[in-house]
Amino acid sequence: MTPLDVMWVGLGGGLGSLLRWSTGRVIGDHYHGDFPVGTFLINVSGAFAIGYLSVLFKVDWRDRYGTALNAGVLTGVLGGYTTFSSMQLDAVKLAGKRGGVPAASYLLLSVLVGQLAAAFGGALARVQG
Amino acid sequence: MVNIVILVFVGGALGAMLREFSMLMVPNLADNFPLDILVANLMAAFLLGLVTALHRRQIASEGAEMLIGTGIAGGLSTFSSFVYGAVVLMSASTASAVVASVYVVISLVLGYIAVTVGLRLGGQGSAPM
Repeated sequence: MTPLDVMWVGLGGGLGSLLRWSTGRVIGDHYHGDFPVGTFLINVSGAFAIGYLSVLFKVDWRDRYGTALNAGVLTGVLGGYTTFSSMQLDAVKLAGKRGGVPAASYLLLSVLVGQLAAAFGGALARVQG
Repeated sequence: MVNIVILVFVGGALGAMLREFSMLMVPNLADNFPLDILVANLMAAFLLGLVTALHRRQIASEGAEMLIGTGIAGGLSTFSSFVYGAVVLMSASTASAVVASVYVVISLVLGYIAVTVGLRLGGQGSAPM
């Protein structure tokens, strides 16, 4: 890993985090229910993007740096945009308001739909060639 | 507003670089279990729980919560690599599909516990939330 890789990861991570924060704000302005729609949509769209871009540019899932694409966009932007920590905090809050079943359902739904989105993104890139 | 943008950007950049550095230090397991991603996600979940509880008690300021919770913890954790790794492993072989399923369940359970421990630790000495 070179200093250039570190710069791409940092720059991408900063931009991705800003995108997450602003997207969450926009969704939060329009939706006021208990289900964490903002984090859910952010994570699912990020999962779609990583599947699509990884297959389109033939990046192995273990290759996290070396080019501007994998360090800046995949590791940086998408890693900064999507969040595991907020998903878990959302789940704890949901458990407090609605109980354990909705919280567990939210986590499982996030992972299932996220995996489908990533697989769909990859399939789309394969069809495109 | 400008201040928040800077805090989220800088925090996200630091978090993403921290994720990459921590992933370099965590060994890959022989069965392809993505221990490196799991460790980064658990650290982020704990950190977010901690700063959220400290912010509720007004020990951590709004700015600190933005920098550490939204920025650093958000940048350190990743949902995109988490689910994409699981998708790749699931489609590779039956054995790695088992590893992927264990990885997903362990991540969800331990992530939930990590946030809860962070919240408890940060909320010590105050009324429960």
